[in-house]
Amino acid sequence: MMMKIDISKKLYGISQDMSLDVKLEIKEGEFLAISGESGSGKTTLLRILAGLEDAQGEIIVSEKIYLDAHNSLATQARGIGFVFQDYALFANMSVEQNLLFVKKDKNLAAHLLSLTGLNTLAKRLPHSLSGGQKQRVALCRAFMSKPKLLLMDEPLSALDPKMRSQLQEDILKLHNEFATTTLMVSHDPSEIYKLASRMIVLEDGKIINDGTPKEILLKTQGSQKFSLRGELLEIKKADIIYIAVVAIGQQIVEVVLDAKEAKQFQVGQIVQVSTKAFAPSLS
Amino acid sequence: MNHIEAKVIKIEQKDNITLVSFASQGQNLRMMSLGLNTPIKEGSQVTLGVKATSIALAKNLSGEISMSNQLPCKIEALNKGELLCSITLRFGDALIESITTLKSANTMNLELEDEVIALIKASELSILEVR
Repeated sequence: MMMKIDISKKLYGISQDMSLDVKLEIKEGEFLAISGESGSGKTTLLRILAGLEDAQGEIIVSEKIYLDAHNSLATQARGIGFVFQDYALFANMSVEQNLLFVKKDKNLAAHLLSLTGLNTLAKRLPHSLSGGQKQRVALCRAFMSKPKLLLMDEPLSALDPKMRSQLQEDILKLHNEFATTTLMVSHDPSEIYKLASRMIVLEDGKIINDGTPKEILLKTQGSQKFSLRGELLEIKKADIIYIAVVAIGQQIVEVVLDAKEAKQFQVGQIVQVSTKAFAPSLS
Repeated sequence: MNHIEAKVIKIEQKDNITLVSFASQGQNLRMMSLGLNTPIKEGSQVTLGVKATSIALAKNLSGEISMSNQLPCKIEALNKGELLCSITLRFGDALIESITTLKSANTMNLELEDEVIALIKASELSILEVR
């Protein structure tokens, strides 16, 4: 058993106070995604694991006590790697120096930079890099201490989709190569599906769902595998049938309804658009 | 969406494909599906769903046809539009609806009380709910 968490902490929210109560066992090498609405306690959980906030209860990682009733191990002593949404690089240091600041290991720095395709940028200063490159540097830097545990808080949410997908591959590469146990807060279902081996969903400080991303994200109604959430914009009558217009993300789709179905729904309602996996086609 | 109450009688699986057989109103039905994440087993009572536009009708059907589901029904109501026609069918003690083109309905000379076969492909049938 790699990691055992059993913590609670009272949180004072804008709308209501709540208690964060998380009991969780995480296996070595697992990639755990933490999702949930904002204010559900995701970031607080990461900060408690990192030792940046206190809490009641215990945290044990590979038999090392991070937190119990008597002690709270200092952040630096926990040997954790962090990646946050803002890159937090040292502006006056080159890419390579940013890595060497963590640990004076030139070979490891060169290896990490070449794994993520940054070797030609080693001497550059952070301000001359794109957002994606900066976040890659932050990722490499987190691995300089060869952390047993890597914590990431929405690391890619500031990047455009293409950059995000490249960074996802880098994250997976490093997670596998260093056999790290990784905990990542994320909102993005495709990211969770690609990276995580397990996910939990937090709501009001409690775990309401725990399983594989496929089990949790594949929202199906019985055997309907193709299912998307959308807002019902309009129901139009067409001859003896009805056509529902539904907005899904940035797209509009139409769904044919019979008279009975048309009566069940109201415009403005959030609906699930679903069909079997056999009907849709790709082009 | 038509609802048909049925009982699971057989589940066959190969890789991620599942074929489930049901009994409903004294008839057998079959559904083709990907891996099931609904907890069904033989004997489970389920509600099956099929869109009205996915049900075809046949009268005096003969010969071989690859439709897995062939349900004998009686026409209870006809609602003719300008292009389309909605046909309400009695299947045992259930009512189901089929939507066809008006042309088909006229060519077949569909009338109230007609005995017809409702045809549904196995891939068009889905499980909506496990009871």
